[in-house]
Amino acid sequence: MTPVDRRHDDGTPGRLDGVSNGPLLRLNGLTKRYPGVTALDDITLELPAGRIGLVGANGAGKSTLFRILLGLSHPTEGHVEVCGIDVARDPIGVRSRLGYMPEHDCLALDQTAADVVATFGELSGLPARAARQRASDILDLVGLDEARFRPIGGFSTGMRQRTKLAQALVGDPVLVLLDEPTAGLDPIGREEMLLLVDRLGSFGISVLMATHLLDDVQQVCDHVVMIDAGRLVVSGATDSLLERTGLVTIDVGRHTDELVAGLAQVGVVAVVVDGMVEATVEATVGDDTRMDLLRDVVAGLGLPLFRLSTRLTSLDEAFVRRSEELT
Amino acid sequence: MSSTASSADAGRGAVYDRGYRPYDGPRGRRGAATLALYKASMRRALGLRRPWRQKVAPFVLLGVVTIPAIVNVGIGYVTRDRFDGFQIITYREYVGVSSALLLFVALVAPDVMCPDRRHRVLPLMFARPLLGVDYVVAKVGSITTILFAFSFLPQVVLFVGNMLVSNSALDYVGDHLDVLWKVPLAVAVLSLYYATIGCALSSLTDRRIVAGASVIGLFLLTSISSSVIVGDSSVEGGGYGGLINVLAMPLHLRDVIFLGHIDPDSPLSGVAGGGLLALACYLVVLCTGAMVLWWRYRWVER
Repeated sequence: MTPVDRRHDDGTPGRLDGVSNGPLLRLNGLTKRYPGVTALDDITLELPAGRIGLVGANGAGKSTLFRILLGLSHPTEGHVEVCGIDVARDPIGVRSRLGYMPEHDCLALDQTAADVVATFGELSGLPARAARQRASDILDLVGLDEARFRPIGGFSTGMRQRTKLAQALVGDPVLVLLDEPTAGLDPIGREEMLLLVDRLGSFGISVLMATHLLDDVQQVCDHVVMIDAGRLVVSGATDSLLERTGLVTIDVGRHTDELVAGLAQVGVVAVVVDGMVEATVEATVGDDTRMDLLRDVVAGLGLPLFRLSTRLTSLDEAFVRRSEELT
Repeated sequence: MSSTASSADAGRGAVYDRGYRPYDGPRGRRGAATLALYKASMRRALGLRRPWRQKVAPFVLLGVVTIPAIVNVGIGYVTRDRFDGFQIITYREYVGVSSALLLFVALVAPDVMCPDRRHRVLPLMFARPLLGVDYVVAKVGSITTILFAFSFLPQVVLFVGNMLVSNSALDYVGDHLDVLWKVPLAVAVLSLYYATIGCALSSLTDRRIVAGASVIGLFLLTSISSSVIVGDSSVEGGGYGGLINVLAMPLHLRDVIFLGHIDPDSPLSGVAGGGLLALACYLVVLCTGAMVLWWRYRWVER
């Protein structure tokens, strides 16, 4: 597997592509030990291009993994490939393909967003004029077109997060590493940030988003990597981790007691949770027989049916269960 | 580019989502990133793209160090019929005036270095195709360049002014050909030295005020200590005390460049091999500064 650079006629590299085929990231026996602590413990996995959630509690090893991917920290054992390039051999080549948005504040407060993003564009190797043009475009994309000539010191937390995202994107990376992109944001800011992250996939930019908020991952990522205390808990497509629980939620408005009684008559145990009836049935994907039974009971009672759906496990439940299995 | 409005509605205006446009133009690597950081640091040092207050200090200092040249040329012009080659300051002495730019170093080096650490910008920079050595080269290079320019431009004013007010411009240039290489060399020696010390001390803290005070403090402390030792007649070999004057070290080299030997008025004049010792001390200070910078920006965790 070799990285593909589209080159211009004069030999200068154009847009840096990722890999012609194969995984975007390949970790092989990756271990990082500090004195007295193992930050990453023998992690082996391959990750495809797309939006990847890197999930783990604080201190799980997410930031250490980012530092290793950027070539800022050497693994104790094992090796890492990004876009088919060995990080240890060509860290500069890897960094040319990456964008990085750290969790902490990292912006010069006395400079305007346009200046900061354009400077980072130039640092990514873009010519000055192109960097300023792209800075303008990217700030527009992240919703800071009106504010780009204001000093960052006067920005809100949400605007600073957007500026951080803009500087990560200005170099047109193949993969962007986002470290807790929604940290410190209010609910609206968080939704907007997740929407932006969600859109990156359609731009041909892969995302590795480190977070401890599983809801964020569930909302935007199509692949999840869970690590705990430096060990790989699970890695797989988000959908594959969201398993059906055997619980069915039925919303019949205020007629919950009638439905619970009706279900009891056909041998289905049901309880009222948050104003809706939650019934335990053995319903599996592709087997709608039991669901039909529930629908018929509702119809037989003459109740309005607003919702009838199977409940999925959340990523939280999957994470806890897999962690327990591991220990 | 997509439009939410149809062409029929174009007359009523439209909202565009320009989306994301990939970059497919030329792209540099380490060299380009280093040059970009060099230019950004120059802009910051000169206060460009910053509030006007940030521009005051550098350009006032440039004005101050140019005053002797303007005064010299002005008096030379007024008295051109009475004196040929009037001179209140020589090119060699003028290099010494450039040490006034020490204030500039104490102001600008911390401003260029400290915020990167204080605002935690360094991880972002080193996530680019940039190594620690590139960062140091860009930062020290930018301050050296400005110091060189601010030291050299007044010399150019002095040279061109003297040439124009002399009886024969051609003769003046012919008589002062050596200045054309001695001045740039002496100014380069001084600029690199002050820039390296300023950057090295600034790299040790993220507080600008502490860094600035350290730069001034180092130069003052060593020059005062040196004066005390040299001035104390009871100390045998007190001339060696001149070697601990960090501020004056490039001025000794300036004398060697212009005169071919240490200035007779210098405390090192009585010291055997004073020129070589000054050069050795200069290199030791320069290397120490470079090592401090390398250590502080060796941005790869082993």
